[in-house]
Amino acid sequence: MKTLAYRVVALAAIGIALTFATDVFFTSGNLLNVLRQASLTFLIASGLTLTILTAGLDLSVGANVGLSACLAATVMKSTDSIALGVVAGLGFGALVGALNGLMVTLLKLPPFIATYGMLWTLNGVTYWFMGGETIHGFAPGFRSLGTGYWHGVPIPVYVMAAFLAVGGVFTRYTTFGQEVYAIGANREAARLSGVPVRARLNLVYILSGAMAGLAAIVYLARLNSAEADIGEPLTLPAIAAVLIGGTSLFGGIGSLTGTLVGALTLTLVVNGMNLLAVDANWQPLVTGVIVILAVLIDVMTRQRAEARV
Amino acid sequence: MRGISKSFPGVRALDGVSLSVNAGDVHFLLGQNGAGKSTLIRILYGAQHPDAGEVLVDGRHVRLHTPADARALGIAVIFQEFSLVPYLNLAQNIFLGREPRGRLPGTIDHKTMHAEARRLLDMLGVQLETHALAHELGVAQQQVVEIAKALSQRARILVMDEPTAALSDHEIDRLFAQIRALRASGVAVIYISHRLQEIAAIGDRVTVLRDGKNVATMAAADAKLPDLVHLMIGRQVDVVYREQFYDRPGDVVLDVSGLTAENGIDNASLTVHAGEVVGLAGLVGAGRSELARAIFGADRVTGGSVRLNGRLLGRGPVRSVRAGLGLVPENRKTEGLALTRSVEDNVLLAGIRKLFPSGWYCARAAATVARDVVSRLRVATPSIARLTRYLSGGNQQKVVIGKWLTAGSRFFIFDEPTRGIDVGAKAEIYGVMSSLVADGAAVLMISSELPEVVAVCDRAYVMRDKRIVGELQRHELSEANILRSAMHHE
Amino acid sequence: MNKVPGAAYLLAILVVVFAIFGSGFATAANLLNIGVQSSVLLLLALPMTLIIMSEGLDLSMGAVLSFAGVVLATMLMKEYRLVTALLAAVSVGLAFGVANGLLVVTLGLPPFVATLGTLGVAQGLALVMSGGQSVVGIGDALPALYAREPAGVPFAIWMATGAFVVFHLAFRYTRLGSYVSALGGNREALVLAGVRANLYHVGVYALGGVMAGFAALLLTGRMSAGHPTAAIGLEFDAVAAVIVGGTSFERGKGTLGGTLVGVLTIGVLKNGLNVLEVPSSLQVASIGVLVIVALVLDSIVQAIATRRRGVRTA
Repeated sequence: MKTLAYRVVALAAIGIALTFATDVFFTSGNLLNVLRQASLTFLIASGLTLTILTAGLDLSVGANVGLSACLAATVMKSTDSIALGVVAGLGFGALVGALNGLMVTLLKLPPFIATYGMLWTLNGVTYWFMGGETIHGFAPGFRSLGTGYWHGVPIPVYVMAAFLAVGGVFTRYTTFGQEVYAIGANREAARLSGVPVRARLNLVYILSGAMAGLAAIVYLARLNSAEADIGEPLTLPAIAAVLIGGTSLFGGIGSLTGTLVGALTLTLVVNGMNLLAVDANWQPLVTGVIVILAVLIDVMTRQRAEARV
Repeated sequence: MRGISKSFPGVRALDGVSLSVNAGDVHFLLGQNGAGKSTLIRILYGAQHPDAGEVLVDGRHVRLHTPADARALGIAVIFQEFSLVPYLNLAQNIFLGREPRGRLPGTIDHKTMHAEARRLLDMLGVQLETHALAHELGVAQQQVVEIAKALSQRARILVMDEPTAALSDHEIDRLFAQIRALRASGVAVIYISHRLQEIAAIGDRVTVLRDGKNVATMAAADAKLPDLVHLMIGRQVDVVYREQFYDRPGDVVLDVSGLTAENGIDNASLTVHAGEVVGLAGLVGAGRSELARAIFGADRVTGGSVRLNGRLLGRGPVRSVRAGLGLVPENRKTEGLALTRSVEDNVLLAGIRKLFPSGWYCARAAATVARDVVSRLRVATPSIARLTRYLSGGNQQKVVIGKWLTAGSRFFIFDEPTRGIDVGAKAEIYGVMSSLVADGAAVLMISSELPEVVAVCDRAYVMRDKRIVGELQRHELSEANILRSAMHHE
Repeated sequence: MNKVPGAAYLLAILVVVFAIFGSGFATAANLLNIGVQSSVLLLLALPMTLIIMSEGLDLSMGAVLSFAGVVLATMLMKEYRLVTALLAAVSVGLAFGVANGLLVVTLGLPPFVATLGTLGVAQGLALVMSGGQSVVGIGDALPALYAREPAGVPFAIWMATGAFVVFHLAFRYTRLGSYVSALGGNREALVLAGVRANLYHVGVYALGGVMAGFAALLLTGRMSAGHPTAAIGLEFDAVAAVIVGGTSFERGKGTLGGTLVGVLTIGVLKNGLNVLEVPSSLQVASIGVLVIVALVLDSIVQAIATRRRGVRTA
């Protein structure tokens, strides 16, 4: 809890700095935009948080979002049913998650390499599936999910808030959540305490995939189009958001709230760069540096804790 | 080595220990786990520096700052976990870091390396191909390669740590022949082993460490086994172990029949009744932890059955826990607790689905349960939110036991429950065990401390070489009887 | 080194299948083409073999290659000499390689995340320096060099073969091979033997960066331009080639010959699928599946071997 407070302070500090740096920052238009963008990052990063909490990882989330969105879009267009498209997107995302889970639990592959292979497989399938085409033009009702407002607040923010609430409850107030943390903290001790580790891990990866599917739907609504490369730039910011939020790659430590703070922080930084007219080409660099710093803090925190015993 | 002392935070590992080893001697170094043997050896080969004391080789003071210094003086150590690289061949392994130079700078002279390796292996009497990869070898063969590696360093002092732990009788004979050859060539061997019967076979001298002190040094001929065991374990006086024993135990709670497992357990059968504390005794390596893990389902079972209260137990820890079985493992830090989590979280883990069957976790109810267990076991912690890594050994153990209490376990397997725990906490743990069985639960306790087994258990099974070789009733329970069954010969 | 990697059989099968079903596959020109296309990948896969053998991973190679390529092209555009520009590109690669090594070895960051971070940094630098555009007008020196065909064999293949020979000799005849395997197989053994394990460990990552710099020479030569995103995903192909070639993540097991087979397998696969007119996107997907299959097979083989040997108890 203590470290989360520090991160919130850091977030606020960035916000304050930006307020002074440019007039445009602290306007309702810009802030709502930031919130909307952060929501999308958060949705992808939330499932990822679960996998990282178990001391695992899902590198394929970005590609999963891309393919699920394209799939959902295709179904929507060919069946004229939004509902079917949503189901397709969610279902496929969850399916990918299930496959990742099986690779980790049944085949005992290291998560980062299994999901890395999945990432490229999904990428390739997405390009082949779309055949270089773009699908666009969805029903306004659907689009409002991504671009609309309700009582002045962008709708994705409500989705994010809903998910934060549900997810937060899930991780903190269910036995499942407790077991997830336990598995991340010491997998063998959890196993010897009667926790069904493989079943829990499978569920975690399925959830990670399902969240990617959900993010795909919202993303699709926002962009109002689907093409093969929409998933590519999503993985790195998602990982960055989780790490900035204080979830440890070593498992057992972290929270969805932290990921939210991380997503907001990252979005603020990007927003700041945009407002200050920094060349957009700098963004991957900044994100990369942030990831390295975040992991560094993670490793150093862990080393200091171990030395203190 | 003279007057070596070494302390770590909270524990005095070595207290003025002196060890004197002659050339051409096989010098046994005995002691319980935690007696200080490993620390002494680590100082000898330069991985650790003593707080006080000195080391002399050939009568001259030496400074051992790094393993390289030790190696230069001819000190070589063969660990239990072998230091071979699996995908390098034997010659590469033997000469790792000291490869013979080739003609061009930076190159290796493979021909010379393999020829030398061949010569060393021949000297040790083995037919291994020098081009074989280390991972293709069996354990005994890997050990021979380790010895060859030590020889290639022109070792004059060779330390062997539990060399026969994983060897068959035939392989042990061959190892002893090799050791005799080394001895004949003037190498001094420091031999760490729990298999006391080996002293008669190849030992020349014996030193016993206990609690960081050298308690005895003698010629092997003078070493009587029961005396050695007494020296190693010592007597705990003034500790009340168990208040009363129950003459009429209840029904059979645990019934193990013909159990065979992947970890080596072979056709093991035992029973435990309600209200009993049954001991599982034997020397280190006898397979007691493996049996416990097999019963609990932690390792894969390939034959036989385990019945709890008459009902057949399914495979795996999940089913065992649900049926009311609890395991307090030997390595409480790595297998019993999540050190980075709080006392509360650890205490609740095993019982979490029993306490909250709907899946909803109520923090307040959980905290109440946790506090209750913590006070019942008298765990010394400022709050239940404290991370378990900051607790003392005894309190950590209590948290592990508490975990099973909240799970409602009725059958407990304790694996070395009081190891590394101070006397006061030991007594408390025995108290907990007593109250558990007084309540009708049953306990299977693994212990290497013979006085503990004799004083706490109603009955005891003795294991040797992964098999149960004897059962001692209350009136037969004595250290001598246990030892007799536990050792290789009568 | 006498054992034939299992991947060789796969390669043989693929070659036969494509030769039968693909018209124009089994021509000298096409096979030479495969060699040329695979040369850049081989330059990356060779150091990647060492990195993976040391229990690590370098996801930044593609981005570093792109950045080095942009640097190379920019300098050529500004009419620096080819040698100078190449030196600059290789230095850039070296810098990133050393950075990766320090992050992983000295600071203890998990390799995939650390190199994911440097990927972002390298990618960002490539985009910034090039302004997001291809850097063209690099003059004639490099394209001419690339187009040369000594003894009828394209320059790219010479370079790749040369790299392979150098790596192979170093691996076999110096301590590099043993120590890299030890880094992954039993690092403590290396440290206990008094070897400066950290130095070698950082060294493999540095080597990766340097080879990315050299690979930039080939790629820029082929495209006659420096493109900031040209090499994205190449590191994945490199990882795939290494894994398919039989190198493993955890035990220090690996051979450069296996990687060569792996690289050729991927080259043949891509080329063959092209000849069969399978869309290129599916090619990428098929490589992903190939990696997963290779990993699965490896873990199955491992499980069988452990079960047969029995579980060792202490």
